[in-house]
Amino acid sequence: MSQTDSLANDGRQLTICEAMKEAIAEEMRRDPRVFLMGTCIQSPTFPHTAGLVQEFGVERIVDTPLAEAAMAGAAIGAAQEELRPIVDFMYAGFTYYAASEVMLQTSQYYFLHGSRRSLPIVFIGACGAGRRVGNEHATMVYGTLLHHPGLKVCMPSTPYDAKGMMKSAIRDNNPVYFIWHAGMMSVKGPVPDEEYTIPLGVAEVKRSGSDVTVLASGLQVHTALKVAAEIENDVSVEVIDVRSFEPFDLAAVLQSVRKTSRLVIVDEDYERGGFAAEVAAQVSEHGYDLLDSPVRRVCHPHIPVPGGYMDAYTMPTAQRLAAVLRSLLG
Amino acid sequence: MVSLTNSQRISLHRNLTRAVTLDRLMLRIIRSGQMVGFYHEGGISLAPGVAACSFLATEDAMWPHYRAHGIAHLVSKGVDIRHYVAEHMGRETGCCRGRSSYHPCFPEHHVFGYSGNIGANFGNSIGWAMAAKLKKSAQIAMNCSGDGAYCEGRSHEALIMAATGKLPVVFWCEANGIMQHTSMEAVYPTSDIADVIVGYGVPTLVVDGQDLFACAEAALTAIEHVRQGRGPFFVECKVLRAQEHNVGGVNYEGAIERDQKVMTAWKATRDPLKLARSALVESGILTTAEIARVQEAADLEAEEVVRFCESSAKATPDVKSLEREVYAA
Repeated sequence: MSQTDSLANDGRQLTICEAMKEAIAEEMRRDPRVFLMGTCIQSPTFPHTAGLVQEFGVERIVDTPLAEAAMAGAAIGAAQEELRPIVDFMYAGFTYYAASEVMLQTSQYYFLHGSRRSLPIVFIGACGAGRRVGNEHATMVYGTLLHHPGLKVCMPSTPYDAKGMMKSAIRDNNPVYFIWHAGMMSVKGPVPDEEYTIPLGVAEVKRSGSDVTVLASGLQVHTALKVAAEIENDVSVEVIDVRSFEPFDLAAVLQSVRKTSRLVIVDEDYERGGFAAEVAAQVSEHGYDLLDSPVRRVCHPHIPVPGGYMDAYTMPTAQRLAAVLRSLLG
Repeated sequence: MVSLTNSQRISLHRNLTRAVTLDRLMLRIIRSGQMVGFYHEGGISLAPGVAACSFLATEDAMWPHYRAHGIAHLVSKGVDIRHYVAEHMGRETGCCRGRSSYHPCFPEHHVFGYSGNIGANFGNSIGWAMAAKLKKSAQIAMNCSGDGAYCEGRSHEALIMAATGKLPVVFWCEANGIMQHTSMEAVYPTSDIADVIVGYGVPTLVVDGQDLFACAEAALTAIEHVRQGRGPFFVECKVLRAQEHNVGGVNYEGAIERDQKVMTAWKATRDPLKLARSALVESGILTTAEIARVQEAADLEAEEVVRFCESSAKATPDVKSLEREVYAA
């Protein structure tokens, strides 16, 4: 089912956290090997695990000490013993405490040990600027994670995608880092009652257009859609939602650029050495002849994500994106 | 403390003989230039690994200490060591298909893998133990390391989780007092790690790591405690490292080289295999002739290992095929 279809569904509306929780609960019901551990997940900071302990008990909804490295290490051990752990870091910025476990041990285990036993682990972390609480809570981790072979990395932009991608992540036999944008907590969207999954590695056109392609993820999909609507009389913008950073759907981007000849990447992560730079390189290598102008990036500048009022304008904004789009078509 | 039967002593002696023989084989392999990567000689430090792993069930998960690259632990756990030596020689028959150089991977024996990041195993052991509890199996986790690993914060995170959750983990510390080139005395606040561990409410034992049978009695005590569901147990084996950290290095301690005379004296008087053999002969459990036969069998095993590895092709796959091996289906 495409996003367009789901938008046509006039059924119930869920928040992104409700959608994530529903996916986790459904997967825990269908597979007794799935369990969840994290810091304060029984009475959580964010509502995506609220109430799960009442249904599944403290043995499968495990509150850990503030011990990210041991928690992630324990997920590796549990997966080796054929369970399917989910680790909730609360804020993805806390993942840095477990960098060795997540980026070296987990992601590279399968290959380095002869591709014999995989590690089906889901890591969850909240990201995103806009809440004025500074870098540990806001830092986007996907650029860093993507640098390490063996991890899959995704981030939804709608409740519908959140549910379908979370289910795919839990069923995947590889470690998957599921990032969600805390700035979207209040966004509601249609989620059908019936079972569905969204495969990891498939981008989606969230708005069709013909002048320029904007590739965005998470909250920035909504920034792109807002700008596209605002300037639609002057510029026809096609918005593609990345959804999955690894595997990455380069074909979908090339197909769009074949039509529009222009590409702008909105990336809330740091600009330097980041996902946007990687996409720009891949499109240059595989689609140079399709382009009529240089690939442009609208990213977080190379400064730490600040707290306070500043985070409203250091992150990619509609104004910055609109200015870049107008300059490309000017 | 549990006391050992004669047959347990005989099997411990056999495993230590095999471990020492294979350690010497590894030295021959690296010195002849046939090993890819490095080697951390076992020397007279192999009794604790044999003791920790000679009484485990196949289903018990285990992480070996890296001294002698865990050969003492692995042969005692019952893995086919040929595939591990082949890994060190970069062969296709290596347990990691020649991709790691030194990682053991024997999932059927619940030895899942390795990391060069010290302390990485502590979290994994918690995970094995959590899985055992969730599956309601009788499995335990044997978490072997050196004393240096107890400087890592992640190790103490795991100890907190194990102690609080009463998880079935044996924390097995092969404490040689020296962390590559730094003495533990210089960086750790207590002379026994056990003094720190008691603060977690975890029972501890400190034993002579050169005494194979003392280590084994401690292992049996720890394993029994853990398997009864009474929570984790910590054993500290005070063991000696009588040579450099890794083959080809210098045996430094701080800024100066360790006294070679002391090392030589340790090898002469504190060799655990010699000590175990004397005890076995004195107590009439084995004759000198029987001990010689155990050694012959170990020598034959080492020869067979070499034959197997040398007849295996070198693993040199192309990058395209490796790229297809990073993610599971």
